[in-house]
Amino acid sequence: MIALVPALPLLVAFLLPLMPALPRRLAGPLTLLAIAGIGVKLVGTTFAQPVVLAVGDYAPPLGITFYADAVSGVFVLAVALVTLLLWPWTAARGAEENLVRKQTLTLIVAAACGGLAVSGDLFNVYVFYELAAVACYGLAAGIRTAAAQVATFRFVVVGSVGSLLTLIGITLIYFRAGTVNMAHLAELAPQTLHDPLGLTAFLLILLGVGVKAELFLVNTWAPEVYATAEARVSALLAGLVSKLALLVLVRLLILVFPLPEARQIVLVLGMLGILSGEFAAFRARDMRRMLAWSSIGQLGAAFVAFAIPGPAGPMAGLAIALHHLVVKPTLFLLAERWGGSLDQLAGAARRSPIGAALFVLFALSLLGVPPLPGFWAKYLLLTALAAQPAGIWWLAGFVVLLTTAVEATYLFRFIGALYRRAGPADAQTGYAVAGGGVFAATLIAAALAAPLLAAPFGRMASQMADTAAYVARVLPAPAQSGVAP
Amino acid sequence: MSEFALITLLAGALGLIAIGIAGTLLSRNLYRILLALSVAESGGNLLLVLVGFRRDAIAPIVEPGRALLTMVDPIPQAMVLTSIVIGVGVQALALAMAIRARNSYGTLDMDVMQARMENDIVGAAGAMPATSQEKPAGGRPLPPPLADDGEPPRLAFKELKS
Repeated sequence: MIALVPALPLLVAFLLPLMPALPRRLAGPLTLLAIAGIGVKLVGTTFAQPVVLAVGDYAPPLGITFYADAVSGVFVLAVALVTLLLWPWTAARGAEENLVRKQTLTLIVAAACGGLAVSGDLFNVYVFYELAAVACYGLAAGIRTAAAQVATFRFVVVGSVGSLLTLIGITLIYFRAGTVNMAHLAELAPQTLHDPLGLTAFLLILLGVGVKAELFLVNTWAPEVYATAEARVSALLAGLVSKLALLVLVRLLILVFPLPEARQIVLVLGMLGILSGEFAAFRARDMRRMLAWSSIGQLGAAFVAFAIPGPAGPMAGLAIALHHLVVKPTLFLLAERWGGSLDQLAGAARRSPIGAALFVLFALSLLGVPPLPGFWAKYLLLTALAAQPAGIWWLAGFVVLLTTAVEATYLFRFIGALYRRAGPADAQTGYAVAGGGVFAATLIAAALAAPLLAAPFGRMASQMADTAAYVARVLPAPAQSGVAP
Repeated sequence: MSEFALITLLAGALGLIAIGIAGTLLSRNLYRILLALSVAESGGNLLLVLVGFRRDAIAPIVEPGRALLTMVDPIPQAMVLTSIVIGVGVQALALAMAIRARNSYGTLDMDVMQARMENDIVGAAGAMPATSQEKPAGGRPLPPPLADDGEPPRLAFKELKS
């Protein structure tokens, strides 16, 4: 069943151009619904015990392993639902042929993201990551403006260098440990990988996969692509793909490199990401780039959270990542019409009051105003940071608090512009309001159910942080330690 | 293969990666960036193959009726095939992007393209281009001053595009 998560959308994606008109319309959304069903089932079963699948019955550590715990289940569900909401339903006039391509690429993104959520070995992670990357390049280039082409080219170059670094990192890990299976690596890591060469490999993979996770240093593409690509594509990239890349890095950090040095690297890069992202967003004068920079800041906060040792870190990180996954797509959908400068936003609230209300709701949640889920995410992060010994952890807490003030300044600047009277602003599209409404319902439901959500979240985080259980689940018998010469 | 040859190959792989990444970061010409990327990828692939190398070993092919000799590690070879295929695909895609970018902006110079793209993004958003308050030495090339009627400034490079 787990194998269907990447396999089914891939199959449908490549059949899509061959189908007649009516099935073609239905095939993509139905596939995503099926994946959502699998996601629900995975969430149901994996809370009790993670599911492991050895493809072709080659017992791990040989062969290809799929591993799904509760976190994977939640992410599979999120992949299916978010892709469905951001599905390209209709095309502009005269671009019907393009529509099929976009739908194919969107399905491939969904397949690759699902694959990243359930992959149990590093080389599959690399393959799915590349698959997601190439499909994202295609989607980003979907608009034929010159700026979009240049932005995509720069995205491709940064992304390819990132893939190369990832591959070198995986090569080094294979050279030292002689395996790419995550559980086997977790077992062998203390003898083979906890040394300068192993850390180099981790740093290379961090920088490589970090390209999609908008990690500091390798996120230069994000503001350019988000400002030029279609709103839905920006929403998909910022909301979904970045989270899956983050998930991969976190698994690697927790399972294979639970070292103080590795945590410090992630913490420092995350802090720099928060600072650079939020201050650049403060300077941005148009909504798209403001959102792009703020998403870099949010992902920096998620990296900081996941750097914290123990289950408290993953818990805060998951809260931030899932919150951002719900919030950012809506804001990007709203930016389709309101993506312009601050001055053009005047009067927007009068033209479409619901759109403006959604923007305010999501902006407040992003800031962390108490009843909304964003508050719990930031609260978890700050308490987890404060529980650590003083020093760099408390500095990180200070950075988060400082940038929240910066965030408030620029978000309220945009809210103020929305509610200014009479102006040239466009009315909001119905789809953005409807899609935003669904996300808003999720957000409010999460806010109301916050006390009930704490227990499953804690369970997810402790399951994710439990390396021994992961190894025991994938490798029931003690594996023969096949260290390469 | 002797020790010397192995070290030479390893140094060659690392050197190719270094040359390629440096070229990608330092070149301004789109085509050179792509070439550098391809060089770096070759280095990465070579490194991957070298990791699986065993002394006095044969290619990892099992044939019936032949004695099982020491083989080189087949896993890196399988990985390198995947990586070569991915690399070719991405390079073709990047080349197509470069051609499209060249057709729209009429140049292959990354710096010029980036400046124009910034201008286009800012122009599409209807915002003022980001500028510093201090006047740089030798005058300020971008952007022209705000017109009297309060319209957004006419964007530099716009006239070159037509």
